[in-house]
Amino acid sequence: MNLNRRKFWTGVLFLLPALAVFLLFFYYPFLESVYYSFTLWNGSGKPEFIGWDNYVNLFTDPHMTDGLQNSLKMAVFGIVVQNPLALLVAVLINKRFRTGAFIRTAIYFPVIVSLVVTSVVWGQLLQFDGFFNEILNRLGLESWTRDWLGTLKTSFPTIILLSQWQAIGFCAVIYLAGLQSIPPDMYEAAELEGARGFTLFRNITLPMLMPTVTIVLFLTVVGALKLFDLPYIMTNGGPGTSSYTLFLAVYNAAFRENNYGYATAGGIFLAVCIIVVSVVQLSVTRRREVEL
Amino acid sequence: MERKRASLWVEIVLIAVGLLFLFPILYLLQMSVKHPGIFYKPLTLPDRLYLDYYGQALRGDFFRSLANSAIVTACGLGLTIVIASMAGYTLARRSDRLFRLVFLLFMTGMIIPTVGSLIPLFKLVNSLHLGNTRTALVFLYAAGHIPFATFLYSAFTKSIPRELEESAGIDGCGPFRMFWVLLFPLLLPATGTFILTNVYGIWNDFVTPLIFLNSPEKMTLMPMIVQFMYNQQSTNYGPVFALCILAMIPLLVLFIFTQRYMLKGLVAGSVKG
Repeated sequence: MNLNRRKFWTGVLFLLPALAVFLLFFYYPFLESVYYSFTLWNGSGKPEFIGWDNYVNLFTDPHMTDGLQNSLKMAVFGIVVQNPLALLVAVLINKRFRTGAFIRTAIYFPVIVSLVVTSVVWGQLLQFDGFFNEILNRLGLESWTRDWLGTLKTSFPTIILLSQWQAIGFCAVIYLAGLQSIPPDMYEAAELEGARGFTLFRNITLPMLMPTVTIVLFLTVVGALKLFDLPYIMTNGGPGTSSYTLFLAVYNAAFRENNYGYATAGGIFLAVCIIVVSVVQLSVTRRREVEL
Repeated sequence: MERKRASLWVEIVLIAVGLLFLFPILYLLQMSVKHPGIFYKPLTLPDRLYLDYYGQALRGDFFRSLANSAIVTACGLGLTIVIASMAGYTLARRSDRLFRLVFLLFMTGMIIPTVGSLIPLFKLVNSLHLGNTRTALVFLYAAGHIPFATFLYSAFTKSIPRELEESAGIDGCGPFRMFWVLLFPLLLPATGTFILTNVYGIWNDFVTPLIFLNSPEKMTLMPMIVQFMYNQQSTNYGPVFALCILAMIPLLVLFIFTQRYMLKGLVAGSVKG
């Protein structure tokens, strides 16, 4: 009994440093922000309690609503386009090639490039007299050239597309890890029974890969909802509110307009969105995992 | 025979895709050595190495920011590893309600986004007299990475047999010594996986130092590059491109030497998780 108690307290002692840092620098500010989200507060002065007003105002603020819409577009694009593409890439690079090492490195490399560097490079490539428009000019497609990031209609789609430069490699490498943990004898057995190509993929690869699909979809959706750096550096949400994301709207409300109470309400709303979406998405893909 | 041909085609397509993915970085590289005369011709390749941009980039705060980035990244990862490995190990070994509850608490940390908490966090850091210090960044990175690291260490601990600890306990080995001498080395794959999947994120982080640091002598690389870009007198971004390349070199070296292990680590992590 005595030994057990000592073990219990040793366990608590082992846990304490991590728990302390986590509670102090993560949970405490988070809980405090829940309180501030119900107040009118500019950062200095005394917070004034105003009930649900901040939350109601979120839905009439174009920065927030456009930001939410864009974040959702990004999430849908991530699920419908980015994930199948990444899976395709992973299945292909999982094969043995003489140049396999080069291909893997090249596709994964963008993931380690910082968003600052990404923004600098792509900003340069996409500017009005930059590389892309110059190529279009040479091809005789002058009418297609535009200021990709500075036009209402194209700014956010451009950001989505160029985010794929990093997202594909990021998702593909996790899929690749998932593919490599499927035991090869499963394929051998199926091949003996005459299964080929897509049948193999549908009946072995995909079911075995479902846990990985769950993880990647989860990371994709959360990543889409949290998108900040790219629009912050490349367009700052413009032109107008066309390339705002929810995160960017929150950041600007807080650090540009000093509207802290309102900004934290936006942050909490974002947190709720992420939690709802991930719970729904996890329960859907988990169910598929069990079925198969 | 037909299948072989098909895979050759696949290989050619994949090489093309690979080059496409590398293109922006190669473009950046050639822009960083392109002399001012042809700088604004996007389709002209540099005819000779023009290294002035690198000279200008190095004359600024590059080395100071490099040191800051290295310190903050190393300490942030180090602190996380020390405290999260102990926590993850304990959470895997104990099944009391209290410990299960703490595990769930850590897991919620992987879902809750920090953006809403930035303002209270800013206040907290100032009231602890950690405003504008690298120490604050280290604690923030640790707090943000503890959930994932704890999860990882706890998953890896489950594959280590308990008998090992029991026999060490009989030999009179205290719990702290047992953990650091016996178990921590066995958890090295978890440590490796954690470092390789998170070092890039911390090194490349832009927002946290932007908010929590303000003096240039403490600034890390990424905000420094953006600052340098805004301070540029001309619109010739040559020095900015040179800086981008220089800031990428440490990660590139690390990446080249470790990418094999990263995939292995991910495989191990996904099997155990």
